[in-house]
Amino acid sequence: MPLRFLKSTVVQRAACCLVIFSGWLTAAAAPLEVKLAYIGAINASAHQGALQGLEEAQQQGDFLGQHYTLVELTAATTDPIDASAVIAALPTVELVAVAAAHPNLPVFNVTRPDDALRTQCKANLLHVIPNAKTLVDAVAQWQVAHPEAKTVRAQAWHADFEKYSASQLNNRYREKFKQPMDDAAWAGWAAVKLLSDLVAREQSADPAVLLKALREHLAFDGQKGVTMSFRDNGQLRQPVLLVDHGKVVGEAPVRGVVEVEDLDSLGQMPCAQ
Amino acid sequence: MRKSFALSLLLCGLCAQAGAAPPRVFITNESGNSVSVIDIQTNKVTATIAVGKRPRGIGLAPDGREIYVAVSGENVIKVIDPETLKVTRSFPSGADPETFAVHPNGNLYISNEENAKASVYDPHTGKLVAEIKVGIEPEGVAISPDGTRAIVTSESTNMLHVIAIPEHKIVMNILVGARPRAATFSADGKIAYATSEISGEVKKVEVASGKIIGRAPLADDKAKPKDILVSRDGKRVFVAGGRANRVFVLDEKTLDILTEIPVGNRVWGLALTRDGKRLYTTDGASNQVSVIDTTTNKVMAIIPVGAQPWGLTIRE
Repeated sequence: MPLRFLKSTVVQRAACCLVIFSGWLTAAAAPLEVKLAYIGAINASAHQGALQGLEEAQQQGDFLGQHYTLVELTAATTDPIDASAVIAALPTVELVAVAAAHPNLPVFNVTRPDDALRTQCKANLLHVIPNAKTLVDAVAQWQVAHPEAKTVRAQAWHADFEKYSASQLNNRYREKFKQPMDDAAWAGWAAVKLLSDLVAREQSADPAVLLKALREHLAFDGQKGVTMSFRDNGQLRQPVLLVDHGKVVGEAPVRGVVEVEDLDSLGQMPCAQ
Repeated sequence: MRKSFALSLLLCGLCAQAGAAPPRVFITNESGNSVSVIDIQTNKVTATIAVGKRPRGIGLAPDGREIYVAVSGENVIKVIDPETLKVTRSFPSGADPETFAVHPNGNLYISNEENAKASVYDPHTGKLVAEIKVGIEPEGVAISPDGTRAIVTSESTNMLHVIAIPEHKIVMNILVGARPRAATFSADGKIAYATSEISGEVKKVEVASGKIIGRAPLADDKAKPKDILVSRDGKRVFVAGGRANRVFVLDEKTLDILTEIPVGNRVWGLALTRDGKRLYTTDGASNQVSVIDTTTNKVMAIIPVGAQPWGLTIRE
């Protein structure tokens, strides 16, 4: 399937201007320029989430000496992308094509739940949004404890979730966009935030350095109460929320059914041979 | 007669801060909207003071004459007279005050979780002295014993901000593990220790250089450490283990875990008596305070308090 080529490029400056920063990390050096690319519909919730993440990354960068910009592409491209990583809100075929065309860049999937994508185990394709099996497993765990809960479903995020400072993140997002934070918005936020955490720790914007760090020593606080890291198949280990009639009723891994720390009880997909 | 007068003078001299009241522990109950008061001599709750919606941080004035309570749900600091146990006044404290530290000069250094700021208030006038922009979701606040440095932790930017006092400028930003929640200084102010809740570890930092000189993983998925304190003799570090439902006792030099003391569920707050012999903990999910004998590292009393005890301070 041919890719639609680049239609427009917008450079989104981080909302927060660079302030005079202090401290030993940055005393002498110019700020590290970090460019991220977003590919997908503008003003979709994944895009807004990425912008929220960008603002927060810049707040950290102001203290530690990084300056972030988000390059916005409205369609998939196989042309070179001048960025440290790509946040992709794309249909599956295009997502795979972008990842294949830019093997040196971390590409974050923030919208597609396809289990098949996880079995492909592409080295640079990292799935921040949970896969379908994660959601199925979460509901199954919940129904072991609550057999009567026939209408419960699982989500990556919910705008009314409050624990683990989720309410603070929801408030920030709602204030900025006047909308509730949904799954794709959380994933867009998380992709930028987890990358920026590694940029600060590695003091590098080199995609190869970041891809290695993403794979090997990510310990991300996604405001869901646990440390998150990527599985070998590229899926972000994470808790999900159980929602019934629009209300958050619980979290998976489900306490009493499995160990609540056992994130690998959800959505395991082995790599295809 | 004369002798007993002299004796009472002497005793009064010893209990310099306090008036007539016995030594007490003051505990905020986050869901109970109250402060529980424990008599240290009996380890019993002797009073419960209604303070308003969602009290969290609590601290004692340097002269011992006032107790301050961050009432998060009302965006105010309330002041309690520790003798009469009455709320005497309150003043606005910026958005969503969570926790604070009291400077030796009496000012309060408050983290405002919702708007990425630390604010400094003079509790006597209720006036804002300074505001410092910090990272996202500021939480823990510590002040060096000589009053020249404050550390504010920002939970969502994973940093310790070292702030010079009285300039109120950030002089250093130190990246630590995910979700740093609390920090404390050594008695000489040269070393700081900080907990990271999500990465489940303690970091030891040389304050002057900002270098991380030690790390203690608490080696337990459930360990979500919060409060941290150095023992009075400087040899041990106490860490409230959160959902691990234990207090970790670390060797100050090596950060090795010397022992783990089981307490109630979701232990967050820690406070030491002046002699260092007793450690009080708030066990939030058990609605209780545990009292640890630090010479034996055993729990010597469990005291039921209000709903979701959060923070505590001791007045002797």
